[in-house]
Amino acid sequence: MLRYEMLFLTIPEVTGDEVDSIKSYFQKSVRSAKGDMLSFERWGKYRLAYPVNKNDYGVYFLTRFEVELENRDALLKDIRGSYVFKFNNIIMKNMICRLDEEASLEYKRPESLEDTPQDVDSFLKKNDMEGLLKPKAGFRGRKPEEKSIVGGVSADQETKAAAPAPEVVVEEEKLEVIKDTAE
Amino acid sequence: MTKKIKLKISARLLKKKLRKDSAGSSKHCRFCNNPGLVSEINYKNAGFLRKFLTERGKILPARISGNSCKYQKMVSREIKNARVMALLPYCATSY
Repeated sequence: MLRYEMLFLTIPEVTGDEVDSIKSYFQKSVRSAKGDMLSFERWGKYRLAYPVNKNDYGVYFLTRFEVELENRDALLKDIRGSYVFKFNNIIMKNMICRLDEEASLEYKRPESLEDTPQDVDSFLKKNDMEGLLKPKAGFRGRKPEEKSIVGGVSADQETKAAAPAPEVVVEEEKLEVIKDTAE
Repeated sequence: MTKKIKLKISARLLKKKLRKDSAGSSKHCRFCNNPGLVSEINYKNAGFLRKFLTERGKILPARISGNSCKYQKMVSREIKNARVMALLPYCATSY
């Protein structure tokens, strides 16, 4: 089995129904190629490094799947075609990568705008209350390092929770989707 | 025709020698003999790759970051992948 991952960037106004349609389409195409869908994760909203299609923000999704060598070419062609023809209004950028099969599924990603708790100092700066800021003693004029979040499944968890994992993941994502639509 | 032989050492070479002496201990690659750090080199881990960019978003040369050739190639490839996905800037300007 060959393992692949897709990272794709959608427009910031993506709705829950659109995400569901993308997810069901990928699941269908992977199943028809006799492969396994490993995960479908929502990273959250990000500020992009440069504007893409006149959007300053975007939502990232990461999916992983396994296929046999015989069906691989047809599946990848199908998925690339879907980016161009079916979801071209929603998906702005995509990248498909081959993964090492022995390596663990754990990975690190940058912090998104949704799961960062707002710092007091940045809040004060934003709302023009800089008089309340206290100068820090140890500040040397250096930028703070970006934090990154660990995602995916570690190697030992992967084997144990292979079967029940997908159901749980689906429930969590549905909750997130509901939250998005409410916002 | 007689060739002139340079007896003086040129100022450029002198400066070069001075620079070498003043550098002190040579830089070492942070990835060599450190497999835990090598696994962090990935296009998704944009926060880590930002260490190898300048303020303007250019890739730092190995001469400055101290990476060995093998890992500098890995880092620059992953930075280029992250740029395609808009996780890292091609050129950092305020927009």
